[in-house]
Amino acid sequence: MGATVEIDSVTKFFGEGADEVHALGPASLSVEAGEFVSLLGPSGCGKSTLMLMIAGLLDRTDGEIRVGGKSVDAPRTDVGIMFQDNTLVPWRTVEGNVELQLELRGLEPADYRQRIAELIKSVHLQGFEQRHPYELSGGMQQRAAFCQALVHKPETVLLDEPLGKLDAMTRELIRADLQTLWMDTRPTVIFVTHSIEEAVQLSSRVCVITPRPGRIERILEIDLPRPRDLEVKSSPEFTAYTREIQAIFHGYGVI
Amino acid sequence: MVTASFDNASPAKPAAPGLWTRLRSWVANSWLFLTFFAGFFLFWQFSIDLFDIPRYILPKPTEIIVKSWADAPRLVWFTGVTGLETILGYIIAVVVAVPLGLAIAFSGFLRKTIYPFFVSIEMTPKIAFAPLFISWLGFGLLPKVIIVILVCFFPIVLNSILAFGSLSDELTRFIRATGASWWSAFLRVRLPAAMPQCFVGFKYAAINATVGATIAEFIGSDQGLGFYIQIQTGNLRPDLAFAGIFLLTALGLLLFGAVTLAERLLIPWHISVRRKK
Repeated sequence: MGATVEIDSVTKFFGEGADEVHALGPASLSVEAGEFVSLLGPSGCGKSTLMLMIAGLLDRTDGEIRVGGKSVDAPRTDVGIMFQDNTLVPWRTVEGNVELQLELRGLEPADYRQRIAELIKSVHLQGFEQRHPYELSGGMQQRAAFCQALVHKPETVLLDEPLGKLDAMTRELIRADLQTLWMDTRPTVIFVTHSIEEAVQLSSRVCVITPRPGRIERILEIDLPRPRDLEVKSSPEFTAYTREIQAIFHGYGVI
Repeated sequence: MVTASFDNASPAKPAAPGLWTRLRSWVANSWLFLTFFAGFFLFWQFSIDLFDIPRYILPKPTEIIVKSWADAPRLVWFTGVTGLETILGYIIAVVVAVPLGLAIAFSGFLRKTIYPFFVSIEMTPKIAFAPLFISWLGFGLLPKVIIVILVCFFPIVLNSILAFGSLSDELTRFIRATGASWWSAFLRVRLPAAMPQCFVGFKYAAINATVGATIAEFIGSDQGLGFYIQIQTGNLRPDLAFAGIFLLTALGLLLFGAVTLAERLLIPWHISVRRKK
């Protein structure tokens, strides 16, 4: 079960004086333990900025962020993070890259043999453990990156457009795997994306973020049965959600 | 739910090719170069008679080999002398420059003080210092080694600064989010990630190392290939001077080859190494 994430009137300004840019906020959001929440918005709307502040990797200008009840004032080590550009290193194999997460944390990879094998199996990478990232397709690399981000069993998982660079078909496949992974262990997931369909399919709630400065414009509860497969996605309810979100962005001149 | 494989990549690795196959593919790839190379020397060989070029201007390649054979002991000894100056200077430059580059990449103070100083020295032709070092330190090994160090040091240090200072934002954040110690992150991520850019400096320095040694010997020496070439040119013996030039080339190739081999062994995963396979 995951940790709670509370965001209270957080703002972020970049630069100083005349160059000051209001990037985000004030934004408030309360994420319950085990929830899957998407931050949905166009590029440059501050959604990644918010995610980095939750991870403690970026200082906020004002406001308060608490993860698991504790204020975030340094990089949090109890989260799993994944970016659009993955953090696989080319000199290690798939397995070695998963172990890198453990080694950097001072954990013993030998204690995690079974965990690593299960994770690799759950993303359908069996047989590729000893391959290097450059021998894999973009989709397979992101699958390996999921294993790297999750191996230490984080209660909170922060995903910054992890499927952003993949083709539509591969995205579809990996989304299904991501859904299964989340349904199995129920960590708290904060998922940054610019795909409306992706957000509706995966999330329990979608935060619609509008740009300049980034604001949480609306929070939508997505009440659809799981697993949300192709059948659910072709239902009128699913379409109604995507239409509603499109209308919000359209009103802001984003699409 | 999705099962089975998604991509065309197969998990099984292809078998490594045998020696014979590799030799054949090397010849297949290089025959054009080998033909050009042979053609160059053939042209040289026959144009001496064809254009009636006096021997004291330019000898035939075969004459260079035959005449220099008589002076083989001295040539071997001098190759050793120049080789020692080059390799000692090169190794010392690497050992000093890489940690210094690392320190500069991570220290704001050093980046504001030593770094601009180094960049401006890089604009100075290091060889210009050679006569001064000879006058300060005499005709021995030491001034030559110092000049080789000077020539090799800057490309290595500047590339090392670049190498250690350009880890991606993603990897930097990843390291911070794991709470890893500086040392652990250095060994596991920063050092290997910096290697490819460091090797750019190592290779550039390897090309220039023999230049440093040769010019230092031109200026003041009683040993070494630079000294030999200068003396034989003065004696109107271009055949022996060419023998010295060939040996210097071999020395340079040997050093560059060793660095390239080290690169292949240390960073076989890097794109520049993989492309060559």
